[in-house]
Amino acid sequence: MQRWKQYGGLTALFASFLAAGYWGFIATGGAVPWAKRSAQALQRGVQEGSGALVDFGRGVVVAGPIRKGGLLVEFGGLVALLVVFGIGLYVYVDRYGGFGDDDRSARYP
Amino acid sequence: MGTDPLDAGRCRTDQCRSLPRPERGVETNQIALAGIGAAASFAIFQLNIPVWGGIHMNLTGLVGILAGPLLGALIALVVNIFSAALGHGAVGLLGANTLVNASEAIVAYYAFKTLMGMDWDVFPAGASAATVGLSAGAFLMGAIIVISGVNGSALPRGDLTIAVAGLVGLNLGVAVIEGLLTGFIVQFLASVRPDLVGLTDRDAHEEPSEVTA
Repeated sequence: MQRWKQYGGLTALFASFLAAGYWGFIATGGAVPWAKRSAQALQRGVQEGSGALVDFGRGVVVAGPIRKGGLLVEFGGLVALLVVFGIGLYVYVDRYGGFGDDDRSARYP
Repeated sequence: MGTDPLDAGRCRTDQCRSLPRPERGVETNQIALAGIGAAASFAIFQLNIPVWGGIHMNLTGLVGILAGPLLGALIALVVNIFSAALGHGAVGLLGANTLVNASEAIVAYYAFKTLMGMDWDVFPAGASAATVGLSAGAFLMGAIIVISGVNGSALPRGDLTIAVAGLVGLNLGVAVIEGLLTGFIVQFLASVRPDLVGLTDRDAHEEPSEVTA
């Protein structure tokens, strides 16, 4: 397919979804976190709000239940464990060719 | 043409058609990818980014594209269980959350497969597939809430539907961010290891390690 059609389609998809997102943002309370937004919207219906779409000053924060519950170390440990396990599996499969079968064909014919 | 990064990993029609159809079941490299995908999805699940008021991403579209629909659904279950264990997401919502996330992975996988079959470049195919997959999950989430109703909410069904539509709409905006991220990741993987995204047979690119008579 011609490249302009692919990127045109992608741009149209993004534009329509961003418009829907902006409407949803305004209609469900504006700049409030998701948990508060959903609780508020589901209990009291749509209520318009405003605020910045992007607020880098707030930074990236770990989910409330983990942060407030003092589980940051456990969270870090679990992520590290999963990362090591995942990379270990990858290296094993890459080095030894799998777990016994030799099916390494492509998935998209 | 070779210098254009968008050409890297592109599935050319005749090349793709010549590839063997895979056996049924799970490939071994997919299991490894599933482990990495679970780790990445779980980690990003817990990080709230300051966009659209404060949201988190899932990477379920990426997981579906890389690990396939079966392992993608399994990863969604594992990530939700771990998240609920840490207090992020109620245990009572485990089934609904898993259903939503699994649908995202499954739809993303088949959308990516379809677009690659139509000879799309990797980036637009990956970004579109992930965005469409996430939108499917958003609509399913809205449908589940509207059909099941909300405990303690006095909203009439019509008002609840409008409120849920707002939440679904917001999720569509978030899907664009995650779709872009997924597109770049899939594009990168396709350029360094096309076999990981199913674009070519890895063995076809390996140098023979020994000479046979």
